[in-house]
Amino acid sequence: MTEAVSAQYGRDRRPFLRRLAIASEPYLYSAPALILIVTVMLVPLAIGISYAFRDMTLLDPFSGGFIGLDHFRAIAKDKTFWLALKNTVYWTGYSVALQFAFGLILALLLDKPFYGRGLAQALCFLPWAVPSFLSGLNWAWMFNPVVGPIPHWLYGIGLMSAPDNILSDPDLAMWGPIIANVWWGIPFFAITLLAALQSIPRDLYEAAAIDGATPFQRFRSITLPFLAPTIAITVMLRTIWIANFADLIVVMTNGGPADKTQIVASYIFTQAFRRLDFGYASAIAMVLLLLLMVYSLLIVFLRQTLLKER
Amino acid sequence: MASIDITDVRKAYGSTKILHGVDLTIKDGEFVVLVGPSGCGKSTLLRMIAGLEDISSGEIRIGGRIVNDLDPKDRDIAMVFQSYALYPHMTVADNMSYSLRLRKTAKEKIASAISGAAAKLSLTPLMERRPKALSGGQRQRVAMGRAIVRSPKAFLFDEPLSNLDARLREHMRGEIKKLHQDLGATSIYVTHDQIEAMTLADRIVAMNAGLVQQVGSPLDLYDRPANLFVAGFMGSPAMNMFEGTYRAANGGTVELAQGVVVPLAGPAPTADGTKLTLGIRPEHVLVGKTGLEGIQALIDLVEPTGFGTILHASAFGADVKAFSLERGVAVRGDTVSVSFPVERIHLFDTATGSRIG
Repeated sequence: MTEAVSAQYGRDRRPFLRRLAIASEPYLYSAPALILIVTVMLVPLAIGISYAFRDMTLLDPFSGGFIGLDHFRAIAKDKTFWLALKNTVYWTGYSVALQFAFGLILALLLDKPFYGRGLAQALCFLPWAVPSFLSGLNWAWMFNPVVGPIPHWLYGIGLMSAPDNILSDPDLAMWGPIIANVWWGIPFFAITLLAALQSIPRDLYEAAAIDGATPFQRFRSITLPFLAPTIAITVMLRTIWIANFADLIVVMTNGGPADKTQIVASYIFTQAFRRLDFGYASAIAMVLLLLLMVYSLLIVFLRQTLLKER
Repeated sequence: MASIDITDVRKAYGSTKILHGVDLTIKDGEFVVLVGPSGCGKSTLLRMIAGLEDISSGEIRIGGRIVNDLDPKDRDIAMVFQSYALYPHMTVADNMSYSLRLRKTAKEKIASAISGAAAKLSLTPLMERRPKALSGGQRQRVAMGRAIVRSPKAFLFDEPLSNLDARLREHMRGEIKKLHQDLGATSIYVTHDQIEAMTLADRIVAMNAGLVQQVGSPLDLYDRPANLFVAGFMGSPAMNMFEGTYRAANGGTVELAQGVVVPLAGPAPTADGTKLTLGIRPEHVLVGKTGLEGIQALIDLVEPTGFGTILHASAFGADVKAFSLERGVAVRGDTVSVSFPVERIHLFDTATGSRIG
């Protein structure tokens, strides 16, 4: 690099090839990583995005032409899309909120030492290891009054007037996948929040106890400020993840009844793999991508302000 | 301000016993230092007084009131932690006022309390900073400020200076002592550093293996250690200890290894033939030229400290340490004579470890 510096002063008298080698040196070093990123990430992304502007129907051999913004105009008028967008907000909001609440409670419980904590921790984290399709099937069966117990329990405690399948009730169907998702996703919050909890120095709690803080005041003035950056980042991650997470819905309700559980991600799946309209599916995916990018920028900004206060 | 009475306090975790019955009375306004090696139970005792650890059995009273089952916040004590335990997301002012805000103290009172404490600890220009932006010594002062704003019944210090470098530690030691002289508050201070214990304490409580070994003024412990543990723990360089046997003949002597005999004075301390340990502090060992009366010794090592010189010599199969304020007393390889002035000798029963005479 010292040679490169000398080039700033006066005319460089070194041979052209040598100068070229020096100038390209940094790019050559980073080339392997760049090539890898471009081929495995950027190229597929660009091709995927290009579908959104093309007429791509798998069963039509003459499709593939550029159609500009036609897909997006169609989306704006697509009632199912707007319903799916609304459902996505419900699905994501309730799932994240409940996963977070239960995950935090679980993390707080597991943070205190008790006999058999190691085993309890391992068991609590187990749902995370269950494949999502399997847990979707599992919950679908549990909600099914023919083979599953849940409708009978709900009927038994008087929450339902008859042991029906909530997955086929248009008003309640969304709660089926949400409950399955909450069960499946609690461990994620529990693990990350527990790790953050355990990094809080114990003597802060002791100092606060001596200062006169009740357990709730200690939680508010020590635990929450310490957890805030972790909460922000995990909630952001989970939100994006869940908004894109169609597995449970596809397995449990397939978007039905009457699109009442259709979320944008499952709608994309339906458009692409059932109607085989890749162009339209890709256009919807781009809208979702933009919405999620705006959302994550907001969260990153929030997290930066939180961290700055430390 | 209040006195603290500790009666037969014990602590056990399951079958592991940490404290085996501690009795201690701390007078109102007294500065007591608990000193001992790691794991001796001194921090546990302090945390039990603070209410951070349960008391397995026994009684702790603060100001005459039994506090065994009181929460830390109801004991009206303040504690300074080794890590300072400052709230990182709060400013210095908020750290100091937290306890007052929790107690719903009036705003004007809080303001005057923290500005008073800040002035006392020269923290006034730092009040709006967060702990992250402070140096170790400043954090230490904030931790003390947080303790004094409440004017509690007692201050508890858990090795508060351990995380500071040597110079700052010396400085803060002086500040703590001055602060105590200003406030006159009952204070309990835990440390493993015997210099801190000597310089700060009105009374030292030397602890080892969950038992109180000796309670007394710093000079008491230094001049008349009650047992081998205290004798060895207090003082640096540490006291010389030689095992030997008491002989009543010739007015009483201690026979050390290789037939070396050290004469004693005064009445017979114990029965003829008792195994004794003779202790003598390095600064009391006299080093002279050979030929003079004394024990022949070969200088192995000379450590100049600037303040004086530590000499390590081998004699009668033992290592004899001597400390001299003079320089150039001897060099490595010299043969010297060492002698133990009779009035400076400490005698301990080797079997029980306790002091004789």
